[in-house]
Amino acid sequence: MTSLVPGGNAPVATGSITVEIAYSPIPGADIDVSAFALAESGKVRSDNDMCFYGQPNVQGGAVQMADASSGRAVFNVDLSRLEAAVDKVALTATIHENKASFDRVASLKVTVSGGVEAQIPTSGMKETALILGEFYRRQGQWKFRCVAQGFAGGLAPLATHFGVDIADAPAPSPAAAPTPPPAPPAPAKSAISLSKVTLDKSRSSISLEKTAAGFGEIRVNLNWNRGKSGGFFGKSKAIDLDLGCLYELQDGEKSVIQALGNQFGELDYEPFIKLMGDDRTGAVAGGEWLHINGKKWSEIKRILIFAFIYEGAPDWKATDGVVTIFVPGQPEIEVRLNEEGGRLGCCAIALLENDNGAVKVTRRVDFHSNQEPMDKAYGWGMRWRAGSK
Amino acid sequence: MALSLSKGGNLSLTKTDPSLSKLIVGLGWDPRVTDGTEFDLDASAFLLSSTGKVRGESDFIFYNQLKSLDGSIEHAGDNRTGAGDGDDEVLKVDLSRVPADVDKVAFTVTIHDAEVRNQNFGQVGGAFIRIVNEVTGAEVVRYDLAEDASTETAMIFAELYRNGAEWKFRAIGQGYAGGLKAVANGYGLEFA
Repeated sequence: MTSLVPGGNAPVATGSITVEIAYSPIPGADIDVSAFALAESGKVRSDNDMCFYGQPNVQGGAVQMADASSGRAVFNVDLSRLEAAVDKVALTATIHENKASFDRVASLKVTVSGGVEAQIPTSGMKETALILGEFYRRQGQWKFRCVAQGFAGGLAPLATHFGVDIADAPAPSPAAAPTPPPAPPAPAKSAISLSKVTLDKSRSSISLEKTAAGFGEIRVNLNWNRGKSGGFFGKSKAIDLDLGCLYELQDGEKSVIQALGNQFGELDYEPFIKLMGDDRTGAVAGGEWLHINGKKWSEIKRILIFAFIYEGAPDWKATDGVVTIFVPGQPEIEVRLNEEGGRLGCCAIALLENDNGAVKVTRRVDFHSNQEPMDKAYGWGMRWRAGSK
Repeated sequence: MALSLSKGGNLSLTKTDPSLSKLIVGLGWDPRVTDGTEFDLDASAFLLSSTGKVRGESDFIFYNQLKSLDGSIEHAGDNRTGAGDGDDEVLKVDLSRVPADVDKVAFTVTIHDAEVRNQNFGQVGGAFIRIVNEVTGAEVVRYDLAEDASTETAMIFAELYRNGAEWKFRAIGQGYAGGLKAVANGYGLEFA
């Protein structure tokens, strides 16, 4: 067994290897272990190069997160199958929301099958995000180097280091998507916030693989700051956001679902999408809901989720709008409307596409004066006429 | 086009660039990009006789003694962080002024306070040494040695040595534990 100290390196086996990261959990703070496939520049080429809880399988299966439980994470890595452009695979550990620094982790150890191990000295470490080590190419051979350095500022500077821009949103980025421990030693935490994937500028899409049981009911929620008190931004007028979608079915059928014109859709029949009622005031907790019958996903080609400001000034940033997509058995997917939309009243938020049976969700957040130009921008090709609620 | 050597490789400077007399030895490394204590790396040069040792203290060119007595070697000064383009530390060598009883000049880089700061060369990226013709500005030879070090705190990067009438350059990439003191001891210098 080769024991590495920070800065040390050793050759590793070329074929399929297993990497285990074992650590002492910190009560009340989750540790997320991720892997980044990096190009020669030391940066990721795209979001698809990040292997984490929300995307456990990257590089065509060459990097897989096989296990992630409290105190342990396991990756299966086949270095010989990595794309040629991948120069390094960095292993990282991050403490969710910087709730503690790594000096609280009594023991942190990386073991690479084939006889390489590295005990990370955590004593006195102020970092909340660590590069544990990296696999790298050296003269045609793969080696592992123990790095044990990171960032006190946590995931954001770490992600920037790897070429991923983190938006200023307060929500955790995907790499922070923590792992719900199956048997947590600490009191049970909210399962919802524990499994969240935020789509933002740095990571704009995610693909949910088809499962044998289908997707169940996919629920899309739009929630926003109603501005009802009038005090927050000095506005007296409530903001009313309408949730809607453009859809296209595999058979070519396409239309819009929105409160405007009472086009609420159907769940059990085409289009298998239903708007669950309009909340004009936003006073009902939970905002607006759109449901998609996931069992019929195979019949759906694509869905463009949008929000429309029916009344009130279209100050999109001030709405604090959040669209959350719930798919049973999958992490929540969150998209924030945290961009300027000018005076345009219609925001295309997310595109759900049937990608060979998988649900591919792509963040959009682009703005249009109304549904018609949005339709044109996305090539939906419908004819529009004015309507009212 | 400059030649790039691997560890152990050597090259005749005289043959590669016959005009070479005044040269610049540039040494570089990447600054720390993660949080934590900065790395302070120091380049030094040792004028060595045929025994492989210095003739005296004045043959040790470093941050507290920037120039050799004969003026053949001049250290341009310490760069504390490694920031900035290209070379992080520069030494100027005038081959014509190197005394006849000096057989070779070794160039080393050591990590200041490495033990206190828990640092080693495995944590330093992009380390290189290069020889530039001071008159023409052309790079003559280069050695990238980032991978040739791991847990050492001192490295002999390269040496210039006489071979008959010519000067040659050898890429060494040899690491030592114990920092600058250990390297200096190895070259025959004793400190109180």
